[in-house]
Amino acid sequence: MTTNNEVTVGRTIKRKLVLPLLAGFLAFGVLIAAFGFNGTAFAVPLGGLGDFYVEFDELQGDGFKLLPQMGETGESDSEPLVRNEIDEVTIQGLHIYKDLPLPGTDKWVRFHVESGGEAEISGLIQDAKLIDADLNFGDGLSIEQQNTEDFNENWQQHADSIEITDASIVTDYLFQEFVNLEDAKISTEIIDEPEMTDDGH
Amino acid sequence: MDNKEARIAKRQEKREQKRQQRYDKVVQGSKFKQWRSKRPFWGATLTLLAGLIILYIPLQLYAIALIPGSFVFVGFLFAGLILIVGILAYIYPQFSTVFGIIGMFVSILSIMGALGGFIVGTILGIVGGAFLIAWDKEEVPTSGDNQKKSRKSKKNHKPKKNPKVANTV
Repeated sequence: MTTNNEVTVGRTIKRKLVLPLLAGFLAFGVLIAAFGFNGTAFAVPLGGLGDFYVEFDELQGDGFKLLPQMGETGESDSEPLVRNEIDEVTIQGLHIYKDLPLPGTDKWVRFHVESGGEAEISGLIQDAKLIDADLNFGDGLSIEQQNTEDFNENWQQHADSIEITDASIVTDYLFQEFVNLEDAKISTEIIDEPEMTDDGH
Repeated sequence: MDNKEARIAKRQEKREQKRQQRYDKVVQGSKFKQWRSKRPFWGATLTLLAGLIILYIPLQLYAIALIPGSFVFVGFLFAGLILIVGILAYIYPQFSTVFGIIGMFVSILSIMGALGGFIVGTILGIVGGAFLIAWDKEEVPTSGDNQKKSRKSKKNHKPKKNPKVANTV
């Protein structure tokens, strides 16, 4: 650092700071815009925020797998859930929403994510507390059981394809490897009380 | 015209005084302050912080991150690279510009695979990278008359042939 009579002093040159900052944020904006215009995102996780609701008119999926899962929910650190894994999904009329208390009031705010057109998802993983829907399994429906301590491996249901209609799903974790939402719309709404299903979820 | 020159000279003098005060603070400051002044501390720290925040998402998804071809696995790589860049910027301050460019670039790319640490990591990475690029160091003589102190930029400074004259760390 210091020698006989010299000291090294670092400093930030303001003029040199502005250009990379602008260039960085511009590149970031371009990337966001490119994905935003297509409604495309990669590796989107949604979890750790308690229960949220997923509704849609129709889902067509390939490579379906259903298995038991333990996970964190809005009320507990570890609760039994149902894990759905689908390789390729096409959804019509997708609507995801989450209710949160508005601080300082007795009102609630609801965050909506809607797809006006078709939603395409690859590598979907969903942990659900309640599935209320019409299910129609395609070819290759099979149920596998294994004598193992690992509850994930203990019981599994597979199907080559699945069709789900008029679904309302109480979800606690959602992950998508790739998602493309056509005509995506994100909005908020003030509501009096949060959504509860008939089953008390 | 003379007035203008005088004003410019006065402004330069003020700037010089401010710089001098800063150098004096470093010389008289603690060991940590002296260590900090030798490297792009804030740029490296922000980059390191960005790496940690970006790493949060792949860590949360580690169960599926090890699936080959998974985007989350890419998220791990990006976050790790940003962390390495942040640490190396402390160790090799002379390459701060290169580290800044790499850190910034990877932070932006981390939107894919790690969601850019909920965007916060990406923004910190951009700011940290810019600080790394804009950082420079000077060697200032500390003894003798303050008025005669000279500065020279170290980043692009070539060592002199005579080692006795090239009095560096």
